Formats: sequence, C-alpha cells, structure tokens
Amino acid sequence: MTTLVFIFQQTMFFTIPLMIVALGGMFSERSGIVNIALEGIMLIGAFCSILFISIFQTVMSGQLLLLCAIGVAGLAGIIISLFHAYASVNMKADQVISGTAINMLAPALAIYVARLLTGVQQIYFDNTFRIAKVPFLGDIPVIGPLLFQKTYITTYIGFLILIISAIVLYKTRFGLRLRACGEHPHAADSVGINVYKMRYAGVMISGFLGGIGGLIFIVPTSTCFNATVAGYGFLALAVLIFGNWKPLPIFGAALFFGLMKTVASSYSGVPFLADLGVPNVVFKMIPYLATMIILAFTSKNSQMPKAEGIPYDKGSR
Amino acid sequence: MKKLLVVLLAVGMLFSFAACGGEEAVEPTTFELALVTDVGTIDDKSFNQGTWEGLKQYAEENSITYKYYQPTEQTDAAYLDGINLAIAGGAKVVVCPGYLFGPAVTEAAKANPDISFIVIDTAPTEECANVYSISYAEEQSGYLAGYAAVKDGFTKLGFMGGMAVPAVVAFGGGFVQGAHDAAAELNIPVEVRYTYTGGFIASPEVQTQAGSWYNDGTEVIFACGGGIWASVAAAAEATDTMMIGVDTDQNSYSEKMLTSAYKQLGVSVYKVLEKYYAGEFPGGAVDVWSAVEEGIGLPMETSRFASFSQADYDAIYAKLVDGSVVVERTTAEMKMTKYADNNISVKVIE
Repeated sequence: MTTLVFIFQQTMFFTIPLMIVALGGMFSERSGIVNIALEGIMLIGAFCSILFISIFQTVMSGQLLLLCAIGVAGLAGIIISLFHAYASVNMKADQVISGTAINMLAPALAIYVARLLTGVQQIYFDNTFRIAKVPFLGDIPVIGPLLFQKTYITTYIGFLILIISAIVLYKTRFGLRLRACGEHPHAADSVGINVYKMRYAGVMISGFLGGIGGLIFIVPTSTCFNATVAGYGFLALAVLIFGNWKPLPIFGAALFFGLMKTVASSYSGVPFLADLGVPNVVFKMIPYLATMIILAFTSKNSQMPKAEGIPYDKGSR
Repeated sequence: MKKLLVVLLAVGMLFSFAACGGEEAVEPTTFELALVTDVGTIDDKSFNQGTWEGLKQYAEENSITYKYYQPTEQTDAAYLDGINLAIAGGAKVVVCPGYLFGPAVTEAAKANPDISFIVIDTAPTEECANVYSISYAEEQSGYLAGYAAVKDGFTKLGFMGGMAVPAVVAFGGGFVQGAHDAAAELNIPVEVRYTYTGGFIASPEVQTQAGSWYNDGTEVIFACGGGIWASVAAAAEATDTMMIGVDTDQNSYSEKMLTSAYKQLGVSVYKVLEKYYAGEFPGGAVDVWSAVEEGIGLPMETSRFASFSQADYDAIYAKLVDGSVVVERTTAEMKMTKYADNNISVKVIE
C-alpha cells in the first residue's frame, strides 16, 4: 500500500507541471501561435520565483510564500512570452525561430542574473511547502493517503487550472474566439474579432501557465535551482501533441508520462518491480516506446489547429 | 521607442559606472597568491570554495596579497589565459583546483619555471619541477562515512554515485567497506543498495529513485556526485530520513545531512603554502593525501550523529593513520558485490 501511495504521489510531481505547461501551450497553439518556447518560459518562471522564495523566505514561509511565488512565476512567464508574441504577431516572424531564441536565452539569462545577484549560479531554498496531512480529508481511507497526505497545494492548483482551462476553452465567448483564430483567422476577423489581440492573449496565457509549471516542477523535486528544468518543457510539448490540443486528453497524456517516468526511475525501490529481473534500460525505454506506438496509432486523428504557425496578415486573402 | 532606448542606455551607463567604482577600491596592484578557478565560481559551496578558503586563510594570517581569477570558459586555452593573467598580476604561487587543469598547468609551468603551481585532483601531463600535485584517498573518506553510519545505528544504506569515474568509485567502494567493517564489529546484518545515476546534476529522476529507496526502507543515502545531493535532499526531507554529503562539508545544506565524506581541500592548500614559505616547496611530487596527512575525514562538529562520538571517530581515524585498517581503492572494473558476506549484502542496481 505504501508503495502504491508513493508511486501515485511521485507521479503527481511529474504529471502536474507537465499538464500545466502543456495546457499553457494549448492556449497558445489554439490561438494559432506555435509555442516551442515552453522550456525557456518554464525556466524563467522557475528562476524568478525560486529567487523570490530565497529572498523572502526569511520573512514568510509556507503556503502564503508559495502562492506569492506562483504569482511571480506567472508574471515572469508572461513577460518573457511577450517577446515571443511580439515577434510572431507584430513582426510576423517565424514562430519556431523566436521560440528557439527564448529557449537559448533563458538558461544563459538565469545563470547571468543569478551570478550578478548572488555570486553563484545555484539558488537554494528551504522547502516549507509540504503539507503533511490535510485536516479531516487526510483521514479518509485510501483517498486520504493518496491525495491529502504529504502533498503540495500545487497539486490542487493544477487540477483547478485543468478545470478552468476546459471551461474557458469550450464554454466562454473568449474560448470560442481563441479557437476560431487558430482554425481560420480570416473568418474570425471578418466577424469583427481582433486576431492580434486574441493571439497575444493565447501566448500570454501560455507564458503564465508555463512559468507556474516551472516553479511547480522544481519545488518538490529539489532543494536548489540550477538554471535548468531538464527538458521538461519539451516533454510538455509532446504531452500537448499526445493530448491532441484538448484539455482532458492532455491530462491523460501527462498522467501517462508521469507514471512511466516514475516507474522508470523508482523500480529499484519497488519490490515487485525490482524482483522481475528486467534490465534498467527496459524501464527507461518504456515511456518513449509507448509514446511512439500510441502516436503511430493516433496520428491519423491529430487535430492540430489549422492556422497554427502561420502569421496572420490582414491583407492576404 | 526612443524613450525606452534612452532609459536603457542610462541604466547601462549606471551599471558601468558602478563597475568602475568597484575596481578603483582595490588597492594592491600585485597579488602574490593566486587561485584560478575551475568550472564554477569561488563560492560554489564545493571544490573552488574549499580551496579558496585555505588560500585565503593562509594569506590573511601572514598578510600576503591574494586574488582569484576566473577563466572565461572551460577550455585549455582559457585556463592558460587565466593562469597567465595571474602571473602577470604578480603571482608567485598559482593554485589550480580541478582535474581539467592538467594540460594548461603543464604548459604554464614550463614557460614560467620560477613560479610555483599547486594542482588538485590532477597531475601535469609531463614532469615539472615547479608543480606540486595533490589528490585524495577518497576510499578512506567513503570508508569513514560508511563506518560511522552503521555504528550510528543505520542498517539499510544506499549509495548513489554520479558516474563511475575513479573518484566516485573509490568513494563508493570505501563506503561499502566501512559499512562492512562496522557491521562485522557489531555483528549485525547490513544492506547496501548501490547505483550510479548517470549524471552529476539534480533531476526529478534522481529524486524519484532516492524517494523509492527511502520508501522501501533505506535509512541513509550517500549522495556522491556534483549536484545530485539536491535531489536526494528533497527526497530525504519528504520522507524524514538522512543522507550523506561529499567532497566538502555539506552539512549545512540540509537538515537531513547526517555527515559529509569530505576532502580537506583548504587544509592541504594551507599546509603546502606553509611549506612554500618555509622554502620547502615539494615541487615535482604527486601526492595522495590520506588520513596520514589529514587530507580526508568527516566534519564531526557539524554532523548529526545520534551515538557515533568524537572518540569513536578518533579511534577509527587512528587505525587508518597507523595502517591497521587498510581500505582498498576500488576501481570501475571491480564488482561491489565482492565485499558482501554474512554481515553485509550489496545490491548493485545497474
């Protein structure tokens, strides 16, 4: 039982940030802007918020500090994503190039600023955010240990973001317009929707969620930030494609990746997996192998936004 | 747009003025003792910092000028530039910590025969009479950590190395031997899980693996390799278990650091500088610093042992010094399971 609980909780550490970042990417891409800058956005978000935590952890701690840091992460993500939005909406630049530029800029910027401010590249922080047990809810059998013990507030925020994302995308006027801009911007424009504004909004939401995802990724799994998010921004991009640009499938895909990652790295401490006698490489291979197989079967039904990656030009018809 | 440009320029100028101000404050123009850093900065809480503190302590106690130089990048040419800059700055002794310095130091030493060099964890590529090279008996340091952990009551140990490079393997082999000897003394069964994570950086995979070990009963993990301690610390803090640090005194990094298997970087630099100023610089020698030279050990003052006392530590340390305990320097070709017997089981995870 404790093993299952452990695997579940560990899976959440992978799943939640992947899902949040992929949802961010979804908003950008559904508005028609390819966002491969997710890695860089995550990194900047994590950098700014961990820096914020390391500075302010002397005056406050616990959930309040974490919530403030989430705000900082989101804000930082928005600011860096504005570069991408400006290049790809106003300048009509190739969206892959400006995304790559941000990915290359982010780690260098994080290292440079960290050294300028603190003299070292690593930023250390005290983890005061773990919730040992949620009152009452933590005592429920099965569900209690799974969801309400040794957890982080970010897990619940992640689910909240998932629900809000689904509602915004499908049930609001804004969501409908956003999707229209990604599918057929000229049609959207002809009925009076400002395509540029919608695309800015899409990219900024992706910056907001990407930045938050970066923080949520670092907090439970390390005690210092070393100018890297270990390629999880790119993995989130895979989750986005795997999840077919739709909120719920994105959650499913993130869960799958999270579970596979967890099993691949924790099998040596899980008795029944360790006793199988399967070589290490097999476990490490499984997530990628499974992704390839599943993608091969589902690629036919891929529902990529039609106008994605094409800069919108009012003049061209 | 123009306004923005003006503001940016103004800010830029402010920064450059500030930079000028900083340089003017430095008074001496030559620096007798110099340190050229390896990858990382002078306050990396690790290799560079440990060495720097030894140099600084000696220099301050004896009113000698000192300065450090940071190569612009991680290449032989940049290292050589850093060393030349130090020499141009008046350095008589140049300290170079890090195993990447070999070729650069060799070249600089041949070009500057009247300058003395101290290199750490490496040796010049050819013999140079003005280079003293220090390496450490990591196996003894690891031995002490393993011995102390078992003596302190831990029976389920873990070892997570970065990669199977010589220093890490030596630490790991020593750790297992130390655990073995303590287990034999106490006549209790001890388990060791042993693996290499495949890298020297913190990652969620390392945290997951450490978490799964802790969850499965492992009580203390020796995190032996660069940045992976941060991931292991995250797992240890989450499960309320202990871990062991490496290379320098890492005990302050986390409340969960039981102890650190360290190398006395600062002490060895200090001692060599003492010899230099006494006119006995051991140039040309390649020395391994072990317990005999107090080159390795555990930081007992900051360790969080429950029962393993300073007296226990001194006793085992004395045995390492007088040679009644000999620790084998394990190499990558050897199998860790060779140390397994009735008292200790070693489970290697490939």
